[in-house]
Amino acid sequence: MTGISPSLGPTPAGPASDRQRVSASRRLLRQREPLLVVLTLAVFLVTFAVNSGFGTSGNISFLLADAMPLAILAVGQTIVCIVRGIDLSVASILGVAAVSTGFLAQDHNASVWLMLPLALAIGTCLGLVNGLFVVFARIPPIIVTLGTLIVYQGIQLLICGSQTVVTVPTSYITLGNRNLFSDIPYMLVPGLVVTVVMAIVLRRTSWGRSLYAVGSNADAAFRAGIRVNAVLVSAYTVCGMLAGLGGLAFLVHYDSANGQSGIETNIQLWSIAAALIGGTTLTGGKGGVVGSFIAALFLEVTIEAVIVLGVPQVWDSAAVGILLLAAILADRYQTSGISLRQALAGPFHRGPQFGHEHGTGRRR
Amino acid sequence: MEPASAGRPQSGFAPTEYEAVGIDKSFSSHAALSDVSVTFLPGEIHTLVGENGAGKSTLLRVMSGIYTRDGGSLRLGGRDLGNLTPRSAQQLGIYLVPQEPTLMGPLSALENLFLGILPRGRLPFTVDWKRMRETAGGYFAQLGLDIDPAQTASTLSIAQQQQLECARALVHQCNVIFFDEPTSSLTGPETEILLDLMRRLRERSFTLGFISHRLDEVFEISDRITVLRDAKIVAEFLPEQVTRTELVAAMVGKEIAKRHRRQRDLSGAETVLEVSGLSASRAFSEISFSVRRGEVLGLAGLVGSGRTEIAESIFGVRSATGSVVLDGKPFGRRSPAAAIQAGLIYLPEDRGHHGVFANVELERNITAAVVPALPRVGPLLRPAAENEIAAKAAERTHVVAASLQTPIKSLSGGNQQRAMFSRWLLAEPRVAIFDEPTRGVDVGAKADIYRIIDSISDGGIAIVIISSELEELVVLCDRVIAIYEGRVVSEVAGDEITLERLGSMIVGEGAR
Repeated sequence: MTGISPSLGPTPAGPASDRQRVSASRRLLRQREPLLVVLTLAVFLVTFAVNSGFGTSGNISFLLADAMPLAILAVGQTIVCIVRGIDLSVASILGVAAVSTGFLAQDHNASVWLMLPLALAIGTCLGLVNGLFVVFARIPPIIVTLGTLIVYQGIQLLICGSQTVVTVPTSYITLGNRNLFSDIPYMLVPGLVVTVVMAIVLRRTSWGRSLYAVGSNADAAFRAGIRVNAVLVSAYTVCGMLAGLGGLAFLVHYDSANGQSGIETNIQLWSIAAALIGGTTLTGGKGGVVGSFIAALFLEVTIEAVIVLGVPQVWDSAAVGILLLAAILADRYQTSGISLRQALAGPFHRGPQFGHEHGTGRRR
Repeated sequence: MEPASAGRPQSGFAPTEYEAVGIDKSFSSHAALSDVSVTFLPGEIHTLVGENGAGKSTLLRVMSGIYTRDGGSLRLGGRDLGNLTPRSAQQLGIYLVPQEPTLMGPLSALENLFLGILPRGRLPFTVDWKRMRETAGGYFAQLGLDIDPAQTASTLSIAQQQQLECARALVHQCNVIFFDEPTSSLTGPETEILLDLMRRLRERSFTLGFISHRLDEVFEISDRITVLRDAKIVAEFLPEQVTRTELVAAMVGKEIAKRHRRQRDLSGAETVLEVSGLSASRAFSEISFSVRRGEVLGLAGLVGSGRTEIAESIFGVRSATGSVVLDGKPFGRRSPAAAIQAGLIYLPEDRGHHGVFANVELERNITAAVVPALPRVGPLLRPAAENEIAAKAAERTHVVAASLQTPIKSLSGGNQQRAMFSRWLLAEPRVAIFDEPTRGVDVGAKADIYRIIDSISDGGIAIVIISSELEELVVLCDRVIAIYEGRVVSEVAGDEITLERLGSMIVGEGAR
C-alpha cells in the first residue's frame, strides 16, 4: 500500500481509541511475509548446519520445484479464503487435470503447450461447479467442496481405469526437473507468475477489491453495489483453474500420475494450511497470495528438514499442524487488541466473537 | 433438577408485589435508566410506555436479571433481592416474555416448556414423558391454549411461541410475568388472544408488566400506565384519568427542539424520486410518496413499522411490487448496483452488519461503492489517485483517524458513521436515503452529520431520512410522513412538524 497518511479533518487529535497503538511484537507479526522468509531461512540454515547436503544447489532447486504444485494450489485457496470460503476439492481437481493431461502425453505424445490450456480448462469447469453450488444451492462451501472432492475423485479414478501414467515425454521431465539457469528450476516460473499476477490483481483491480469486500461483509458488499454472487462464483472458478494448473505442474514434476494423485498426500489440507500460515484467515476479507506462496516454501523446507534431521517421518505432519496452530494464534494476537494470554484463552474468554456464515446478499 | 411440581408446590402460589427503587443503569457512558422507581402490584397489568430508547425494555431486563443494575434495589414481596441473574430471577418466580421468543427451535413445545426442569423417570438418566405431557396439558387448559405439545417449536407461529413462553412461566412457578412488546409482531386476532391470556393471569392475581406502543391496547388492558422518557420516569397514570393526547405529550416531552431549518419554497423544484403503490407481503403495503430536488423528507415510524423495509425495497435490497421513478425514468429491475448507478444511495441503519467492512482499511471502506469509477492505468487502479480521492472525501465529513490505512473497526462509532457518509457522498447521489443517520454516534458527530445533511440538500440532493429520534426529524425535515403498521398514515410539513404531532403520528393517531 502507499503508506501515505494525510492528517484528516480539522480536528487535530481524535479520541485515543481512534489512534492505533501497536506494540513491537504485534508489528513484527503483522509483517507476515518477511517473518516467513526469515523463518524459512532459519530452518534451512539450521538443517544445513547439521547436514551440509541440504545446501547443495541440487537440493535447493529440488526444494523450489517440489514446492510449486502446493504453492499454486495455495494461491487459489487463498482467493477462496478471502471470500470467506474454503475449497477441499482442489486435490481432486489437481488429480483430474494430472491424469487427463498425463494420459494424452503418455499415449499420444501431446505437447505440453497444448496440455496447459486443457489443464486450465478442466480446473475452470470443476471450480465453476463448486462456485455455482455454493452460491445458488446455498450450501456451505465446506460441504459443497467435500462433496465435489469425492465426486471429482471418482472422475479421476474413472479416467484412469486400471491404468497409471508412468512415462511422459522428455520435454515434460525437463520442465519439471531441470533448471532454467543456475539453481532456478523451470517449475518456479509458473509458481512465481501466478503469485505475482494474482498479487497485483488482488490489490489493484475491481475484482480483487470485491473479493475482500465480500469476504469481510457480504451484506455490506451487496449494498455497496458489488455483485456478490458473481464474485463468489468467480473466486471458486479461479481457485479451480489454479488447481488445474497445479495438476499439470504435478505431472511434469513427478513424471507420473494415477487415481490417487493429489488426494493421497492430502494436498487440499496442505493448501489450506499454507494459506492460513501465510496470513489469510478463514473468516474472510484478509490475506494475500504472496504470504501463501512463501508459506508453501516454508512447509516444503520444514518437511524436508524433518527428514534430513533424522526425525521419524511420522512427525512431519505433526510439525505442519503445530505451525498452523501457531500461525492462527499469532493472527489472533496480532489482529485484536488482546494480550497473548487472552489469545491463548480462546473465544469464550471475553475475546472478540467470531463472525457468522456469509449470506449472499438479497433478503426475501 | 427437581421436577416442576415438586420444586415449588402449586399451593405455594402467593400474590407478590415487585418493586424497583432508584434503579440506575448505563451502557458505556449512555444512561439507559436513571433513578427509576416503579411498583408492580399483583392482580394488575402495569404498562410501560415511551419512545424507542426511553428505557422500557432495559427496566424489565434489569428486573428479570438479564442486565445487572448499576445502582438501586429490587424488592420482591418486601424482601430485598441481591444480585439477580436470569436463573435466580426465574427461581424467585420472575419471568420475562421477550419481544422475540427465545425458544429452542429444534426442540418440541413440550421440551421447551420443561427446559431446565425435566422431570426424572423411574430409571436413571430417563425423563418422565408421561408426567410432562399431563402437566403441560393442564397448563394449556388453564391458559386456553391450543398447541400440540409434540410440535417442533420452530414451526409454531410467533403468537403460539409467545403463548408457550407464558405457559413456561407457569410451569416454572413464576408469579411475576413481564411482556416486552409482545404484540408488535402479532396480527389483530392474535393480539386479542394474547391480551385475553393476560386477563386470565390477572384474574389469578399474577403480577404483570407490559410494554406496548399501541395506544389502543394500552388503554384497553392497562390498570396502570407509567411513562418513561430519556431514561427517567416522567409520569404515572391510571388509564381512566388520562387522555391519549396527554399520554403522547408525556411520552415525547416538551417542545425543546427548535426548527432551525429555514422555510424554503420547493414548489418549483422538480420531483426526483417518486414511489407509488409499493407493497411487500407482511412488511408494508401501498406506499406512495415523492421527494423533490433539495427537499428533506422524514419517514417517521416505530421500529418494526416497515420504514426500513420500504427503504431497502426502493434501493433494491428486498423485492417489492409497485413502481419507483427516478428522475422521471422508471427504476424497474432494482438492485443496489443499479440504484447507485442511477444516483440513488441508501445508508443502512445497521452499520455493523450492512455498512462497514470491519477489517478493511478506512480508505477502501470509503471508496467501496465507487471502485468501478476510480482512476486507473489500463485495468489497474492507481493507488495514489485513490488515496487522494479518499482523503478528500474523509475531509469533507471530518473523519478523524490516524491514517487512511487503519482498519475501520479501530475507529469510534461517530467516525465510522462519518466514513459511511463519505462513502455514499462519493457516489454523487441525486437521491439519498439515510436510515438512522445518527445511531450510536457521539454529539460531535451528530452535529457534523446534521451539517452535512443540510449542506447537501442545499446542493440539490433529494433526501429521505428515517429516524426513531423525533427531534431529529423536527430539526432536519421539510416534510414528514408517518408509517404505521406498514402504511403511510399521515403527513405534516413546515412549521407543523412538532414533537407532539410526530409523537401521535407514529402511533397511528392524528391521521386526517
